[in-house]
Amino acid sequence: MRIEELLSQFGSQYVRALLTTWELTALSAAIAFLLGTAVTVMRISPIRPLRRFGDFYVQIFRNIPGASLLILLVYALPYLDVVLSYRTCVLMAASLIPSAFCSEYLMAGINTIDPGQIEAARSLGMTFGQIIRRVVIPQALRSSILPMTNLLVATMLTTALASQVPLNPRELTGIVAHINTHAVGGVTAFLISAFLYCMTAVAIGQAGSWIDRKVRILR
Amino acid sequence: MRGAGLTVRDVLYEAPGAGTRKKIAVATAASLLLLALLLGLVIRQFAIAGQLDRKYWFFFARGTTWSFLGKGLLGTVEVAVVSGILAFAAGFFLMVGRISQSRISRALCTGIIEFTRGVPTLLFVYFFFLVAPQLGIRLHAFWKITLPVSISACGVVAEVLRSGVNAVPKGQREAALSLGMREGSVFLKIIFPQAFRVVIPALLSELVIVLKDTTFAYVINFPDLMQNASVLISNYDAMLSVYLLIAVIYCIINYLLNKAAEAVAVRGKEKGGAK
Repeated sequence: MRIEELLSQFGSQYVRALLTTWELTALSAAIAFLLGTAVTVMRISPIRPLRRFGDFYVQIFRNIPGASLLILLVYALPYLDVVLSYRTCVLMAASLIPSAFCSEYLMAGINTIDPGQIEAARSLGMTFGQIIRRVVIPQALRSSILPMTNLLVATMLTTALASQVPLNPRELTGIVAHINTHAVGGVTAFLISAFLYCMTAVAIGQAGSWIDRKVRILR
Repeated sequence: MRGAGLTVRDVLYEAPGAGTRKKIAVATAASLLLLALLLGLVIRQFAIAGQLDRKYWFFFARGTTWSFLGKGLLGTVEVAVVSGILAFAAGFFLMVGRISQSRISRALCTGIIEFTRGVPTLLFVYFFFLVAPQLGIRLHAFWKITLPVSISACGVVAEVLRSGVNAVPKGQREAALSLGMREGSVFLKIIFPQAFRVVIPALLSELVIVLKDTTFAYVINFPDLMQNASVLISNYDAMLSVYLLIAVIYCIINYLLNKAAEAVAVRGKEKGGAK
């Protein structure tokens, strides 16, 4: 199928698919960041069971394949009398997995701080809250901009899982499967989606390195 | 207490006084209780839904179940290993192209790398599953999953290898050149071996991603672990228990791979520090 034909027939669907991918990505990334932060707080807290739980959580969601998690949520959970909508399942899968990586990046960001800084801050008489707010968080956030950009791209790639469930409207991967099972879309249908994904990834990457240049700490 | 491996996580708190220790003890007890409650709720939900019933679990005691799953796992490992090798080979050439002198080759390889990194594996899977047959390309199911997985990994491998090459000090190349070695053999004999050693942990982490991506094999009915699991499910009508077990198997394999990567990284650092 030629590109003009394809666009005249499916053009508006592509626009909706792109917006759906963006929406899923933004929502999942926001949830992933909140979850990841909460888990990181647990992992650096002095309460041992919470630390262990945080570590366990990260290991689970860092290592489970996305397809496996989505299948569990969609097909297995109803057997526990927990029935979630397809959209909720996709959002959960696309935010639980990145949340584990988010926590790993935050931990790495925290660990780039020289322990001597904490000791110095304490000997200046700063309280625990002050140390966290004024010494740890500013530095950890600044040094985790680039990993977070990568995380945002990874989250976008994870939202392709949505093509495995009947979601309406479809996202960029689902629409390629849809067009190719209902009409002969050929390579063009694939390339349009691939191009839209790539442009989004490049835009995210550019924005990330711009912010990183502004806030990076030169050591 | 104050070893060399001191991290921020360890020094964040000063040695707690009596009052704080009491607070921490209370919080510890409360959080233990809360976690136990959570676990209890999950188990209760299993019990209420009847999922603890013997009929959902008894077949895990049978040898045939495990040999069948083992066969599936073998399929998964086959796909992962071949994809890994292909991705490494392609990644190597992309990396060489990206650092070459020729501007055209640099632009081309950068383009390919960015493309493979920006497109989800599933889209590549659908390309080989739905689009390739329209072009008259007939592939065995094995390649329909192996090719997309390796394509989506090769860009990352190229970037990982490039970061390794950049980490080798410039003096190494200059010294080798002044000894009369040619540019090509300097790269293959001096620079690349050192670069490779640096990036082994990152390559192992990428292997985890490859292994995760192989789960999409069910889309094209290739008999991997996931696909064999669904056969098991239709035999015993036990969706939850089987999929749960499969998830645990994947988690354990990937966990071990990640641990191996960490161990290699630590050993590499120790060697580097001993110099």
